[in-house]
Amino acid sequence: MFSIIFTWLIVAWGALSCIYMLRCAWTRFPKRDVDADDVIPFLYPVDVSLAESLLDPATEFEFRWKLSPPQFREAQRKRMRLYLEVTRRMAHNATVLVRYADAEKNSPDPRRASLASALQEKAIEVRLYSLLAGIKLRFSLLLRADILNSMPVLAHLRTAGEIDGLQSYGALKTAAAAFVRLPPDEIESLTRNL
Amino acid sequence: MSLLLRYIPLGLLALLLWVLIRRRAYTACPWFFAYVAFGVVAGMARLAARLSIMRNPVIYTGTYWITEAGYDLLGMLVMYEVLRVALGNLTRAWWARLIFPAVLVAGIGMSITRANVVPSRLSGIEFYIAVGEIAVRFVQVFVFAGLVTLVPLLGLKWRQYPFGVATGFGLYATVMLLTTTKFSDFGTRFKLLWGWTSLVAYSVAVLIWIWFFSVPQKAQTPSSELSAPSPGDLKQYKDALRRMR
Repeated sequence: MFSIIFTWLIVAWGALSCIYMLRCAWTRFPKRDVDADDVIPFLYPVDVSLAESLLDPATEFEFRWKLSPPQFREAQRKRMRLYLEVTRRMAHNATVLVRYADAEKNSPDPRRASLASALQEKAIEVRLYSLLAGIKLRFSLLLRADILNSMPVLAHLRTAGEIDGLQSYGALKTAAAAFVRLPPDEIESLTRNL
Repeated sequence: MSLLLRYIPLGLLALLLWVLIRRRAYTACPWFFAYVAFGVVAGMARLAARLSIMRNPVIYTGTYWITEAGYDLLGMLVMYEVLRVALGNLTRAWWARLIFPAVLVAGIGMSITRANVVPSRLSGIEFYIAVGEIAVRFVQVFVFAGLVTLVPLLGLKWRQYPFGVATGFGLYATVMLLTTTKFSDFGTRFKLLWGWTSLVAYSVAVLIWIWFFSVPQKAQTPSSELSAPSPGDLKQYKDALRRMR
């Protein structure tokens, strides 16, 4: 019985994947090419210094030292939710940049195409980090790990899947600044918004 | 089923082989190239054996099962290659190396469980080849569906060679798992339906591969032949870095 149910689940997963690929091929999804003007307004600002402080083990020790255990658990949950929002924004910004780089990847200029590839690689790395860190955070929040008094240390989320999140995001910002063709003042707002 | 219809996939495979050679895909996907080349040779061997079936039926049976084992082995190696290429650029995490063995164990486990639930009429080496074939189908669906799930999650580009290879195998494997699970209810009509479905699904899979390989794939990593960035580019780069600090 279990084998039949599992086989049907796998077949359904395969069929849904076939439908998704068919949709991609049919509509050339994602359809719209994103140009440089579509990048800045669609970015969500990421406060890297806030992320640094959330991942800082010293700050966490300070909280642990100053607050009572229930207060610390509550504060820690808030910090986790905040970091989840940071990773969500990082993932969103990476998606915007992936779409922009996609449009430029077929550029006849080999240097532009190569920069687009580099930007995409960094963006995918950031998305993978956000995905893995997000899963860990959601599980911790969902399973209420604080009840067992074994709160996960946020500092451990600096790396997920052997990807250093903030380092990768920094590299993405650098790659984006080098790639996006904008006037200098707009480049500044791009780096500010990222 | 007429002999001509039965060998449509062989013609399509020969066309695919030509496309692969033209695109020099043997450098990007060597195991897939080996699979297609083997498919063409195996198809011709089966055709030759079928033509001589009146003289010696054992030759056809032997050729069929030997080539089937070859398809199983190469199908597995192609899936390993697809995962290695697709995930190699994504993560260097230690657990990434465990994904393929885990998928392989899951596929073999599912196939053995299924063989216990639905007893086979085959025995000996033929039984193991058939079990291996179902295991390969499970692995192909796992790999295909897993990669397709990563497309929206990570924003990966779907039109690249490994995804094309996985899509062709994934479609064929999904249809074959569906037919072996569902069509067995049809009793005596099963064999005919299975034959037709297998033929159509495999032809569609080969057409998908031809479509994916019909366009050249851009280099993923910066080429060493590229010249250094111009002073203007470097200045823009440095300015951007300075502003970020």
